[in-house]
Amino acid sequence: MSWPLRGSLALLPLLFLAAMVAAPLTRLLWEGGSAFNPALLQDGYLQWRLLWSLAQALISCLLCLALGLPLAWVLARYDFPARGLLLRLLLLPFVMPTLVAGLGVLALLGPNGVLGINLQDTPWLLLYGNLFYNLPLLVRAGVDGLSQVPASRLLVARTLGATPWRTFWRVEWPVVRPWLASALCLIFLYCFAGFGLALLLGGQRYATVEVEIYSLVAYELNLADAGALALLALAVGALAAGGYALIERRLVKDSRAGPTLCRRPQGWPQWLQLAGALLLLALFAAAPLLAIAMRALQADAANWQALWDGEVLAAIGNTVRFSGAAVLLALALGLAHGIAAARWWWLRALGFLPFMVSPVMLAFGLLLLYPQYGASLWLLESAYALLAYPFVAKAVAGALASLPPTLPAAARTLGASRWRAFHRVSLPLIRPALRRGLAFAAATAVGEFAVTLFLSRPEWTTLTTLIYQRLGRPGAANLEQALLLTCLLLAFALLAFLIIEWPEKNRAAD
Amino acid sequence: MFKKTVLLLAVAGASLSTLAGELRVLTHSSFSLPKEQLAEFEKQAGVKLSIIKAGDAGEMLNKLILTRANPIADVVYGIDNTLIGKANAAGVLEPTSSKVGRNVAGISLPGAVAVDYGYVNLNIDKDWFAKHKLAVPASLDDLARPAYKDLLVVENPATSSPGLAFLLATIAGKGEAAAFQWWAKLRDNGVKVAKGWSEAYYTDFSRNGGARPIVVSYATSPAAEVFYSKEKLAAAPTANLLLQGGVFQQIEGVARVKGGKEPQAAQAFVDFMRGNAAQQAIPTEMWMYPAVAGIGLDPVYKHAELPKSATTPTLDAMQQHTAGWVSRWVRVVLKSGN
Repeated sequence: MSWPLRGSLALLPLLFLAAMVAAPLTRLLWEGGSAFNPALLQDGYLQWRLLWSLAQALISCLLCLALGLPLAWVLARYDFPARGLLLRLLLLPFVMPTLVAGLGVLALLGPNGVLGINLQDTPWLLLYGNLFYNLPLLVRAGVDGLSQVPASRLLVARTLGATPWRTFWRVEWPVVRPWLASALCLIFLYCFAGFGLALLLGGQRYATVEVEIYSLVAYELNLADAGALALLALAVGALAAGGYALIERRLVKDSRAGPTLCRRPQGWPQWLQLAGALLLLALFAAAPLLAIAMRALQADAANWQALWDGEVLAAIGNTVRFSGAAVLLALALGLAHGIAAARWWWLRALGFLPFMVSPVMLAFGLLLLYPQYGASLWLLESAYALLAYPFVAKAVAGALASLPPTLPAAARTLGASRWRAFHRVSLPLIRPALRRGLAFAAATAVGEFAVTLFLSRPEWTTLTTLIYQRLGRPGAANLEQALLLTCLLLAFALLAFLIIEWPEKNRAAD
Repeated sequence: MFKKTVLLLAVAGASLSTLAGELRVLTHSSFSLPKEQLAEFEKQAGVKLSIIKAGDAGEMLNKLILTRANPIADVVYGIDNTLIGKANAAGVLEPTSSKVGRNVAGISLPGAVAVDYGYVNLNIDKDWFAKHKLAVPASLDDLARPAYKDLLVVENPATSSPGLAFLLATIAGKGEAAAFQWWAKLRDNGVKVAKGWSEAYYTDFSRNGGARPIVVSYATSPAAEVFYSKEKLAAAPTANLLLQGGVFQQIEGVARVKGGKEPQAAQAFVDFMRGNAAQQAIPTEMWMYPAVAGIGLDPVYKHAELPKSATTPTLDAMQQHTAGWVSRWVRVVLKSGN
């Protein structure tokens, strides 16, 4: 694609990022001025916060990779009943409100947990929590990457006498590497700038830098110090994203010219591998969800009936409306960004920007910059889209970059217009990745991100906000209703994932 | 596709401009009144009500201060006695009064109109204490003793209103120096700090999946436990622990916003919050006591307890020192300093 065309495509997401990230952040930093306290960075406590934020993010990345890659390999290579459903179920942890996820984790490994081990207040529980949220990201990326390896190449390698191990390192690893790198980059950013589960499960001892920024902005209105910290966090995030984009450029390999390998396990060792993988997934991704579902099932009839309430129905309606609109916005922004970024590494790194900036800085900055729109649906929708669209952009850019340029080039030689070549050749080939990106975008939009920091109105109550409202009051009935609402939220999310990633005829495209 | 997006944005943008006759009410996230009452107010005042929730009360006030050049609301509800000094000093409120109702003795806010009040104090899990055959602590100092190690969870005053209220009560009760010495002992005795009330109550309190039987909550929480119980309970599963120096009286109010529009409707809303209907609804909607004298309470309030005394710093002291006290608390409890 010529650069003026790509440039004009890039303009849409760039303008959006400028309006939604750069401008509000700059405005807030400007408001804070340069009066920040340099002693802040020499404070041992804050240095510890920074170090801990970094350390837990890196450890989570390593653990996700160590556990997730074998899992992804098994899920990519072995076919089994309900495999497609399982791949979609994998997105559910993403939707869980942090507080409910915490309740689920504690129901397993807390003081009264069903597993009989109490890990509350230990770092193990935090890492478990981080795995719960992030392992699915890596597994899905790994499955998609491994599905890019043509069966013919694997079979040739095996026929020529390579062991499965050697085949993996020489054939599959080079193809899956960029997919893993991008997922790891995202996991790092999530854990580093994360607010939620670690703090919830570990108390303030395990607070991340973001918690300090939140407290400085929301409670002390100390914008100068908050700004300095936020810039520092941004720098770390930028290093991670820039580093990733640079590495990925070298890693990308053309791939995918033929059907892929995914078949029933043969012989008991292969069945055993599959069983082991499913067990691991059950333990790390499904168990907290099941714990919540079990407790919800024991809820009183009266609380079940309370679900059939005008408030709940309105919340369902809002959830569908808002996340639907966010997904559409994310599709437009993500396609434009992804296509433009397929050959521009810096644009790809920029796609991670929404995850690098402190959310509370963003929320206050937007309020300061656009006070008249502070309580408008438009701003809330844009915030949803901002956090959702990078998934689409990432998926599209990655898929396009690994597409052999010979394919659209051949179409062009045969007389197809540029648009037609894209529409008939490239688009069908990247469609599975696009759908995966959209499913993640939907999960982000249905989930809670940005919900609590922005101004909101009672008539915009979504299922997630309703869950938090219930958990804002004492009483068993409130807790039960929150759990039931969570199950409802998960059911709706699953439905959305099934619709977005409706299995295509080409099974291997999963 | 891009056309579609642009169109979408344009449509959304067009619906933004404030309609004539719209009253914007800024509240914290716990605001709740029956829909019918709000609809009735709209009819009476002839305005459309836009309730805007802005997070926790502290966060809400800061959003108001940040946007004072271009106010995001016309009237604000939920500023309490810990924040009113800061709000008045920042000049974001129009001095407001109301002729409706007479205040409960001692309940008022300077420059704003008191709407409700309540108490922040410790709650205990009765079952836990019965099962472990441990005497309930009789003083704040007891909590620093080895017998009560790892039993208390508090909210971080830097991120939570009840957490801040409890810290202020201990300072007023013990004096600043003694209070921070006590907090240092508490830190060594394994106090857990949670981000906010929901986290503390639902993941750390032993009544709900946590391991700690003492939590900072409200004096009305035991009544709410009965009100929202599964099978109607005869007695609350939790109880108030009203210790000297551990009870804070919180007063919440409503005020017009400086530079806001619709001043008449704003005043009407202030009066509405003081009216019988709203005042009667507040106890079981927001779990606070009505600030207007002579309002009857729901029978479930027999499970709540009106503390006989509370230790609350003066408004001046809170305005001048709160920020410093919170940083000192963070230094002592989280940074293990002094």
